Formats: sequence, C-alpha cells, structure tokens
Amino acid sequence: MSKVIIIDDEEDIRVVLKEVFVRAGFDVRVASDGDEGLTLLREEPADLVITDIIMPGKDGVQTAYDIRMEFPKTKIIVMSGGGNAAPQDYEPSAIATTAYLASATEIGADLTLTKPFDRHELIKAANELIAQQDAS
Amino acid sequence: MARNLKTISSRMVIAVLLIHAVMLPLLSYGMLTVVRTAQQEVFIDHVRIYSRVFADILQAKAVFPSEGEIIASLDSSILGGRCVHAALTVGDSRYLSSLMAVADGARFDEDFEFGEHGDDVYYLSTPLQLGDDLAVLELGFDEMPTLQEIAAARETIIYITLGYLLVTVFLVIILSALLSKPLQRLRHDSRQVASGDYTRQMSTDSNIFEINELSRDLEHMRSTLVGINARLAAEMASREAAETERRKVETQLRHMHRLQSIGTLAGGVAHEFNNVLLPLLLYTDLALEDLPEGSPVRPHIERVMRLANRAKGLSEQILTFGRRSDDGLKHVADISPIVDEAMSMVRALIPASIDIRTDIKRPAGPLSCDPNEVQQLIVNLCSNAYRAVVKGGGKITVGVAPCLVKSELVSKQPRLEKGEYIRLRVADTGEGMDAATVERIFDPFFTTREVGDGTGLGLSVVHGIVERHGGDIVVESEPGVGTTIDVYFPQTAADDIQDAQGTISDE
Repeated sequence: MSKVIIIDDEEDIRVVLKEVFVRAGFDVRVASDGDEGLTLLREEPADLVITDIIMPGKDGVQTAYDIRMEFPKTKIIVMSGGGNAAPQDYEPSAIATTAYLASATEIGADLTLTKPFDRHELIKAANELIAQQDAS
Repeated sequence: MARNLKTISSRMVIAVLLIHAVMLPLLSYGMLTVVRTAQQEVFIDHVRIYSRVFADILQAKAVFPSEGEIIASLDSSILGGRCVHAALTVGDSRYLSSLMAVADGARFDEDFEFGEHGDDVYYLSTPLQLGDDLAVLELGFDEMPTLQEIAAARETIIYITLGYLLVTVFLVIILSALLSKPLQRLRHDSRQVASGDYTRQMSTDSNIFEINELSRDLEHMRSTLVGINARLAAEMASREAAETERRKVETQLRHMHRLQSIGTLAGGVAHEFNNVLLPLLLYTDLALEDLPEGSPVRPHIERVMRLANRAKGLSEQILTFGRRSDDGLKHVADISPIVDEAMSMVRALIPASIDIRTDIKRPAGPLSCDPNEVQQLIVNLCSNAYRAVVKGGGKITVGVAPCLVKSELVSKQPRLEKGEYIRLRVADTGEGMDAATVERIFDPFFTTREVGDGTGLGLSVVHGIVERHGGDIVVESEPGVGTTIDVYFPQTAADDIQDAQGTISDE
C-alpha cells in the first residue's frame, strides 16, 4: 500500500484530502506544517508528500527542499491556492503564487497543482508519480 | 494752447521771430543810417561845389559887376531851382535876390551839418574877391527833397524787412511741417503698435538722417517685440500641449495603478477563495459518491456541485485578471490560426443574424502567448461587441495585422514601446459608451448590463491577459457611433524567449 503524507495548515483540506486518498486505497498520514510533516517522514518514510505552499512556520518551498535533501526518492506534490499570497510579516504583502510554485519546482517538487483541483486528477497524478518511483 | 506752443513748428516760428526781433531793427537802422549819410554827403558836396562855382563865376568877371548884374546872378541861382536863399555882401553893401522876401533876406544861419537849426534850409557862405573888395556869397539850399528821399528810402527798407520776415516765417512753417510730418507718422504707428497691432511696420520716407535713424530703431524694436511675442506664444502653446499630454499620461498611469492594485487585491481574495473551494468541491464530490442513486438529497448536492464549479470559474477569471507572471507563454510563429480558431468559437456563440466580418493578415506576426488566453480575449471582446450591436443593429469587424508602433502612440500609451506589434482590432458600430464608462470598463465586476446578465469580469479578464502578454489596449468609443478596441501584442522572434516552463510537468 502506497504511503502518503498530507501537509496543510487548514484542517478542512487535510481531512478531505485524507478521505480522498483513503478511498483510493492509500496509507495516509496528515501534518499541519512542514516540521510536523518531516517528523512523520522520519518516523516512517512515505512514497509521496503533498504539501501546501503558504503555511505558517515552515512553508511549502522550504519543506519540499528539506524532503528532497533528506529523502531523495520521495515524490513531492506542491499545491497552492493561486492568486497572490505571502507568508506572514512579509513585505511586499502580495506575491504571485505562481512564483512560489516555480521556485518549488526548481528546488525539486515533482508536480505543482493549483487549487481547486479534481480528486480523480489528483489520484491519477499521485499514482503516476509513485509508478515513476518504482520504475527508477 | 500751451501744448500748441510746444510743437516743433511753433517753437521754430517763435525762435525765428525772436532772432528777427533783435536782428531786423538793428539791420534796418544800419541800412537807414548808411542811406541817410550818403544822401547828406552828396547834398553837402553838391551845394559846396555849386557855391564855389557860383563864386568863381562872379570873381572871374574882369570889371566890377553892376548891382543889376549881381542881383540877376543871384536870381538865376534861385530860378535854377537849387537855392531858396541868395545874397552877396560886398564891403558894406548887401545885395539880395529879387525873388526873395526882404525879411527872409535878413535871415542867415550858417549850417555845418545837414538839417541843422531845423529850418529845412542849408545855409552856406562862400568868400570871394570882387575887384579889390572882399565879398561873401550867402546861398541857402532847400533840404526838403533830400529829406523826402531819405524818408522814401526808410519806407522801402521797412517794406523789404517785413517782406523778408514774412517769407522767412513761411519757409520756417513749411520746413517744420516737413520735419514734424514723419515724426507724427512715427507717433501714429507706434501708438498702433502699443495698442496691439504688432504687424504695423514703422517707416518714414523722410530724408532727414536723425528721423530715419529713429524710425529704423523703432522698427527694430517693433520687430524684436514681434519676435519675442511669437516666441512667448509658441512657448505657451507648447507648455499647454505638454501639460495636456502630461495629464493624459498621468490619468493613464493612475488608471493602470488602480487596475494593478485591484488585481493584487483580487488575487489575494482568489487565493483564499480557492482554499475554500477545494474542500467544498472535494467534499461535495465525496458526498455524491456516497449517496445512493435515487436519494432525494442527490439533486441538491448536484446543484451544490454545479454552483461550486461556477465559483471555480469565477475564481479562474479573477486570477486571469490579476495574473502578472509570464509563465505558461509559448512562442507561436503566427497569431492568425489562433484568431481563426477563436472566430469559429465566436460564430458558434453569437447568433448568425449578426454581421461579423474578419480582416486577418497572414501571417500577422509571431508572438509569445498563451493561445487559450488569446482566444478567451477575442471571445470576450466579441461578446461585448455583440451586446453593443444586438440592441440597435450594426456590424462587428475583427481585424489582425502586424503594426509598427510609432512615438506618437507611445506618448499616449506609456506601456507601449516603439517597435513591431500585432494589432488585434475588434470594432462595432453599436451603441458606444461615454467617457465615464470607458474609464471603468476594465474594473472587475463593472458592468452596464442588467443585474444577473454577465459577471462584469469579461473585460477585466481581457485586461489581465493583455498585461500578462506585455501588450496594451486602446479603447475608442462614442455613444451612438460605436466602439473600437485595439489590442497591441509585442511581436517576438522565436529566439527571444526561453522555452516557457509549464506549471504542470508530466514526464
């Protein structure tokens, strides 16, 4: 059974994504920020990490980087709400999230997704990434 | 009167009169003196010679003349018209002319100067030898004719002097008129110039050096003034033009900044919105999966799903408006196939009764774009044009052509640069818009339609797309005439852009 860790600061999203992956037959764990996600990953490696990009504490870009360094084989999906957003206390207050997604890709995220997305699309992408991992 | 005395001609006349008042009496007095002296000298010479000759004739007689002879001689001197008095004294005897009263004969006042004694007679005694006796001849000459001649000469001198004075004053008046006429003309001209007629040239046909100099200087001054005036006017005009231009650009920049800040705000809202939409859509999807077929709740949940999807569409449109990045642009060699495809979509959407014409240059130019967005832009513009023509009739024209942007357009549209662009024009002959509406058409949720008919996002999306492609939009509209919207996309050669990186990579 493929292992997935979902990192998002919003509980509603964590819960629904967990439900989506559970129904698709994944082993799912959830975390509310990057550090918590990394702790889970160190406890037990996962095949795929899905992380939000704008989060208090460790943000998605940093999380993706840390995971890529520590767990090179783990596949990473970074997702964003689109539009403009910025971490707290950050000036200028608005950055296009496409810029975040682009930098996440640079750092090593395997896929970026803009919310909202279809659950079948998500599961399909997750399966494809895990298949790549198995192949390599 | 006092002013009249200050004119050139009266001054000159007064000066001439003053000079002559001093000079003319002196001159005429001198002339008169010369004439009088001459006359008197001639008279005295004359009478002396006459007396001497008369005496010599008497003296020359060989024998002592008889009394009768003496008296006859004396008479002849009076009859000859020269003398009024003739007497001869020889020793104790005294002879008088018979033509003289005896009383007058007693009178004799020897004169040395002309006019002496006031008796109008010049008495002269001449000694002579008659035989052995000494005699004295007394003759009196009339002074009146000479006095009359002198008086006549004085009269003549006075007439000549007065005549001379008159002629002089007349000449002075003419001369002063000649002098003051060009000055008056200059004065008249400079008054005209002073009252604003700067085109009046200063000139005199005077041949007086100073007046010509003055005239030339005034003319120089005038033409300098005209030059300064023209320069000032030109300067003011150019400043006004620059000010107008500046205001225009300022308005556009303000407009641009406003749209940018709205875009930023909209982007922020959309971000939060999407974080809500994702669980909303997923939960609804899961709920639909769990619901048995035929459940009475199912239609409601399906409706929620549709509404959430509509919200997703709105969010995407807002994001298109607010998007800044050029991610996702790819290079196409020619825009015209993209336009063709968009036009087939437009024809499918708009009733066939609407007259839509296309004028597409092939090739219209290469650019780096998101073809889907360009099509979306064309569909949105055509949809607006359709709304404008559907009420009152009219036609829609869609044109695409390469276009060289020149400096005059750059000065109006600060976001354009000089160079090669592709111009996409959507023109309609529909109802048109007023200036206030044009000002706001790109604002998100601004709409002139009925509530519920359209979202008011169509042109905001167009604006976002154009901005993302580095282009600009020019809107011209007149109520009742129609609207022309020109979209300028910069042409890009294939090697100008690095391969755009998709946000979804699926190796």
